[in-house]
Amino acid sequence: MTPLLEVTNLSIGFANPEPITAVDDVSFRIDRSEVIALVGESGCGKTLTGLAIPGLLPSEARTSAGSRVVLDGNDLVGMPEAARRRIRGARIAMVFQDPQASLNPVMRVGDQVIEAIRAHGPVPRAEARTRAAALLEEVGIADAAARLDAWPHELSGGMRQRVMIAIALAGEPDLLIADEPTTALDVTIQAQILELLDRLRRARGLAVLLITHDLGIVASRADRVLVMYAGRIIESAPTAELFRVPRHPYTRGLLAAVPRVDAPESRLEAIAGSVPQPGRWPPGCRFHPRCPVAIARCGTEAPSMEPAEGPHHTACWVATGAGS
Amino acid sequence: MTVPLLEVRDLVKHYRAHGTVIRAVDGVSLDIAAGETLGLVGESGSGKSTVGRTVLRLEPLTSGSVRFDGNDLGSLSSAALRATRRRMQLVFQDPGGALNPRRRVGDAIAEGMRIHRTVAPGAIRDRVIALLEEVGLAASDADKRPHQFSGGQRQRIGIARALAVEPALLVCDEPVSALDVSVRAQVLNLLLELRERRALAYLFIAHDLAVVQQVAHRVAVMYLGTIVETGQARTVIGAPRHPYTRALVSAIPHPDPARASERIVLAGEQPSPAKPPPGCPFEPRCFHPAKDARCRHERPALEGLGERRVACHHERVD
Amino acid sequence: MMASARAGLGCAAAIAALALLGPPLAGDPLAQPDPLGSSLLAPSGAHWFGTDQFSRDVFARLAHGARTSLAIAAIAMAVAGVLGIAFGLLAGSGRGLVAATMSRVVDLALALPRVVVLLVLVAAIGALPPAGLGAVLGLTGWPAIARLVRGEALALQHAGYVTAARALGATPGRVLVREILPGTLPPALIALTLGVADVLLLEAGLSFLGIGVRPPTPTWGSMILEARPHLGQAPWLLLAPGIALVIATAAATLLGDALRHRIAGDRA
Repeated sequence: MTPLLEVTNLSIGFANPEPITAVDDVSFRIDRSEVIALVGESGCGKTLTGLAIPGLLPSEARTSAGSRVVLDGNDLVGMPEAARRRIRGARIAMVFQDPQASLNPVMRVGDQVIEAIRAHGPVPRAEARTRAAALLEEVGIADAAARLDAWPHELSGGMRQRVMIAIALAGEPDLLIADEPTTALDVTIQAQILELLDRLRRARGLAVLLITHDLGIVASRADRVLVMYAGRIIESAPTAELFRVPRHPYTRGLLAAVPRVDAPESRLEAIAGSVPQPGRWPPGCRFHPRCPVAIARCGTEAPSMEPAEGPHHTACWVATGAGS
Repeated sequence: MTVPLLEVRDLVKHYRAHGTVIRAVDGVSLDIAAGETLGLVGESGSGKSTVGRTVLRLEPLTSGSVRFDGNDLGSLSSAALRATRRRMQLVFQDPGGALNPRRRVGDAIAEGMRIHRTVAPGAIRDRVIALLEEVGLAASDADKRPHQFSGGQRQRIGIARALAVEPALLVCDEPVSALDVSVRAQVLNLLLELRERRALAYLFIAHDLAVVQQVAHRVAVMYLGTIVETGQARTVIGAPRHPYTRALVSAIPHPDPARASERIVLAGEQPSPAKPPPGCPFEPRCFHPAKDARCRHERPALEGLGERRVACHHERVD
Repeated sequence: MMASARAGLGCAAAIAALALLGPPLAGDPLAQPDPLGSSLLAPSGAHWFGTDQFSRDVFARLAHGARTSLAIAAIAMAVAGVLGIAFGLLAGSGRGLVAATMSRVVDLALALPRVVVLLVLVAAIGALPPAGLGAVLGLTGWPAIARLVRGEALALQHAGYVTAARALGATPGRVLVREILPGTLPPALIALTLGVADVLLLEAGLSFLGIGVRPPTPTWGSMILEARPHLGQAPWLLLAPGIALVIATAAATLLGDALRHRIAGDRA
């Protein structure tokens, strides 16, 4: 079966002020109604990867020649912008971290949802309003018909994020890219939004690319996890598998660095050093200066993604036994 | 019983904005002994950061008292208060904004020593270098400016600046939540080491219960300006009694996806501190099976045995 | 470096050269060697920019006028800078009635049209030496600086490092001088540099109206005033100070802009 979305050899760079690579040869696939988590820290390239899929990269960013983003057999990278615009919203929708900045402050919430509905086809205004109320109800906004007339500032952060999700659903997309959708929200509200995404996946068969820095969010909600570090995917595995036997030393370090309720210890295992930013990536494996198990080869030669066991892949000379 | 290092009684902080009163902190009492860490947990709007700022007298309080080392801070003259501030310091959430971009790192760390004249001018440089090394930075970093450092390193600088005046209490306001995950553990470990070496007490304010249980001896859970549950960290997190604490505990990321599905998803959102519910502040979102009319009308007191206390009409500590 | 910054530096260098090197080269700006025979001479090898109606050398007057005009601008900016920064800092950092009153004073001072105030002041005081004129121009220029500094100081009150200094036990005065003041200086410096252009034009305007620096001391404004009756025969009388004024104004504006870009870049 062909996947819904297949990203191959995606590389993204910037020319100014000096040429730097921000995303380096990233490949992955998403099936229908699958939730994939793309996990990484600041500057790892996860957000750019998400923006590149619907073609929303900032104008200074350059996608390199071999990059492919194939949705249902059609390559979006080579597609004319007009055709790509028809795909945005209708096939691929996005939700961002800051629902405050994503809603127009001088437009009523309902009008913004109605506008999104009518952007995807001629719908009479009255019917669009009914559908907007239904969408708000679907994303868990109580008293939806009345809330259509609310202004964005009258809603809490969690409510705004629900409205953003309703707007994303307006075009009946197959894939929702959610970039840190809960990072700006409180813990108890985070749980609500994650549950909502899970419900939409089951009810609508929606595929979700969940971009986050928080492995904890991933644990309960994703089918598969992709771990990014310094522009590359360094580990890919079914979620349970990843948490059971993390293969890459970075993933192991991340998991050890997260405090756990079941094993409270006075000291956490920390990863030494700090996250390298684009343009300052070391040669070889980019994690090797911080890696506790690095060998000589790691400093000179970059490992590629190799199967570790079954569907579990990782890019590490030591973990895949290619170091000797 | 010995006098606690910090003793907060019935702390109330109300703000006035556009004709309404915002009850940010509505009667909070807590103690911290020397060398002890109290974790203050809550969501944004719970008033936890306001507690930290009023304890340090960075903001005046509306009523209540804060005693430090037995002295009521409210009765001190402003000069005496400044002298007391030497012994209670603040570590910020945003390590970038907490450092003056125009000043060299060594200069920022030396500031407290110059203010309180605790170190002879000729010896300041050596102290700065010793502090930098104590927090895991290099002597040569003293002459750099804040923008040359990563977030984790800036937080180390902020900690060194606070330590420069030899405090007994550090108020840490979300000290790791702005940092990359792989760097958080480094800073938490540093705080643990310093506590041990210097016998520091921490008021550790955070929204993340998992982080708090890593460092805190005791925790206090805040909701809408009041403490709803408090006790030994191990007990509160291991066997939470208040429904809100139970929801928070269930939201702690769990590496086992099967167990993570036991998460309690609360309905609704924290009410505005300008319009708190008349009874129990948590009543509108509460899922307790025994919830009744009393919860709607009467605010439950924080009651229990010793340090283990719960504010709920239907949960008792025994 | 940006092209506009380079142009600004070029203009400033030209004016500085005129003010520094011009007077020794040009001789006495007040000498009237031959009021009847050699008045209103066109530019030549002997008189680079010609002569005026009293046979005085225009280049000598322009060069000495540059010194006077620039000195007036420097004094005005010093007065406006010191008053504006001090007032703005206190208004933006203090609490209660005093700060509120100071803020109202700034707003009130800004509401008065500067030219009208200047006219009233100068008319009331009467004849002024150049330094006095500079001081008066500064006295009418500080409210703009004060408002700017007040805004910056208010914003900085909430900076983390200001809270940190208070938590360390720093006195309010120490916080003001060591943490807040340095942050307000860059924008104040930009405004003062841009303000030089205003002051040069105002000085020229007052002198043109005959109520600025009194003759025969040359300033660019008074030279333009004196050129007026002879425009038809001797346009160089107007062109020389006019072009100098344009170059000096451009220098201040371009440098102020370049400074703003530089500082904005630093902050990003």
